[in-house]
Amino acid sequence: MADLEKVDIIGTPALDGTYIAEMDMWPFECQEFNRIYPFYENLRAGKFTTTKCQKCGHIAYPPGVICPKCWSDELEWVELPQKARIVTFTETQAGAPIGFPSPIIMAWLNFGEGAPLKHLLARIINCKEGELKDGDEVKFVVFDVPSHPIEVKKETKICDRVYYAFEPVK
Amino acid sequence: MAEKKKAVIVGGGTSKFGVRQAHLLDMVQEAMKACSDDIPALKPTDIDGLIIATTMAGRHSSALNTAPLVVHRLGLSPTAICIRLDTLCAGSNSAIIVAKGLVESGMAEAILVTGAEKVYMPQRWETNYTQLMVNDHDWDSAMGLGVPPPFFAMIAKMHMKRYGTTKEQMAAVSVTNYTYGEGHTKGHFAGRSLTIEGALEARIIADPFGLYDCCPLSDGASAAIIASEEKAKELTDRPPVYVRGTGQHASHSMSAGWPGETLAEWTHLKVAAEVAFKNARLTPKDIDVAQTHDCFTISEIIELEELGFCKKGEGGDFVASGAIEIDGEIPTNTDGGLLVYGHPFGASGARQSLEICKQLQGRAIHQVKDAAFGLAHNLSGTCAQHTVVIYGKEPVD
Repeated sequence: MADLEKVDIIGTPALDGTYIAEMDMWPFECQEFNRIYPFYENLRAGKFTTTKCQKCGHIAYPPGVICPKCWSDELEWVELPQKARIVTFTETQAGAPIGFPSPIIMAWLNFGEGAPLKHLLARIINCKEGELKDGDEVKFVVFDVPSHPIEVKKETKICDRVYYAFEPVK
Repeated sequence: MAEKKKAVIVGGGTSKFGVRQAHLLDMVQEAMKACSDDIPALKPTDIDGLIIATTMAGRHSSALNTAPLVVHRLGLSPTAICIRLDTLCAGSNSAIIVAKGLVESGMAEAILVTGAEKVYMPQRWETNYTQLMVNDHDWDSAMGLGVPPPFFAMIAKMHMKRYGTTKEQMAAVSVTNYTYGEGHTKGHFAGRSLTIEGALEARIIADPFGLYDCCPLSDGASAAIIASEEKAKELTDRPPVYVRGTGQHASHSMSAGWPGETLAEWTHLKVAAEVAFKNARLTPKDIDVAQTHDCFTISEIIELEELGFCKKGEGGDFVASGAIEIDGEIPTNTDGGLLVYGHPFGASGARQSLEICKQLQGRAIHQVKDAAFGLAHNLSGTCAQHTVVIYGKEPVD
């Protein structure tokens, strides 16, 4: 993962930097392609956020454009808890998708009683194979991922990106 | 208003499944040939509807609008429907749900349901890469969640922790399915056998799964004919097998919103099954033979529980007791299932439904005695969706 975390990488590393959007494993995070771009802007500020319905109060995850409970489009951004506990996890030895290190560690997280987002499947980074056990506490972490170009009239703009995962609380 | 028609599955066939030296459309033609051999009276002009179920056609075969290509290669001229349909691993059973509705309403007389995938690419890594696109891409794939073994390994660990399921019980699923695979020469692992020791000693894919706990990815195609009862009588003398009831349910995309109390409870399957049983006016006790989506050994165990064939949490003991064997309570995956016959996503549903068709017509390779009612089930995506189709030798009414 280390070399992928450099912000100076543009495009798809497996394609020697040539950018083909349909080979992109990260989201289009910019305002030009995504109405929930504030999620990614909040990530850059270290915040884990989602949309809450101002009509019925439902907190959805992932964030959306309408509320999946009442279909209102009057939503606001709210912060989510950043700490969770491992319910169960897996360290995959074979067949990690290209761009991801092997073994890749994934976990089903529990954010605790009363948390708006109760469970989430997520990747665990900054953790060696064999270190993790059920019940361990993990915390939200943001890291840089490769940028991508967007053509804006005759210019090419570079969209820098981040993504998130969880890491052990030490 | 005219009386509602009855939809039946007439017959069909599959291509060879496996790592194939063939194009997607080559394999669709092979499946059509097998279907034609199975229903000799069937002519291209009998088919007034086509549904091709495929997920990878767009990316791996550069064939996004697949239906016209299939029409051309197979010499068809459908007038009622001509579509590509994608629900990933449930594609062709989803197509059977659609075909049932079209036939029962009188909009079509004979629909070719075909499923096909070309999974393997000139470089193997691209197949895994494409799998990142079958989930909620921006939320799950970016986490590296896409290739199924790790996710189902977590499910297995959870089921082991909550219900005491063991690796030996999981191995009983794959060993039984290998027994059933015998004689199915078009299966991915045709001609191979497996012992409990062999399963337990295999290399680890994702703990607790060894190699034989996981189905292969396969290239392949399947084809089945769904027709009105009247049309079916023109095409074959075999007893009709009615599509009695169906249910399909999705409740989440993947990473958040899992519907069960834990990953070991598949409440969304329970819902799909209840709807299908209600529509079929049957209960799990009525079913003589089942095809459940054994993408992993643990999947078959949990599916037997959620479909109501055994109590929740007792699936491990159930499979190890011999209940899924040919003379057991519910013979399951009697053609080897995904684990042995293989899994070309869109093709698997019709392959399962064809096995149920043959069982109910009394002509299966591993025949369940006097089978009158059968069930086919797919999960699709990373356990995001469940599809259930129930068949019977008698119609609902």
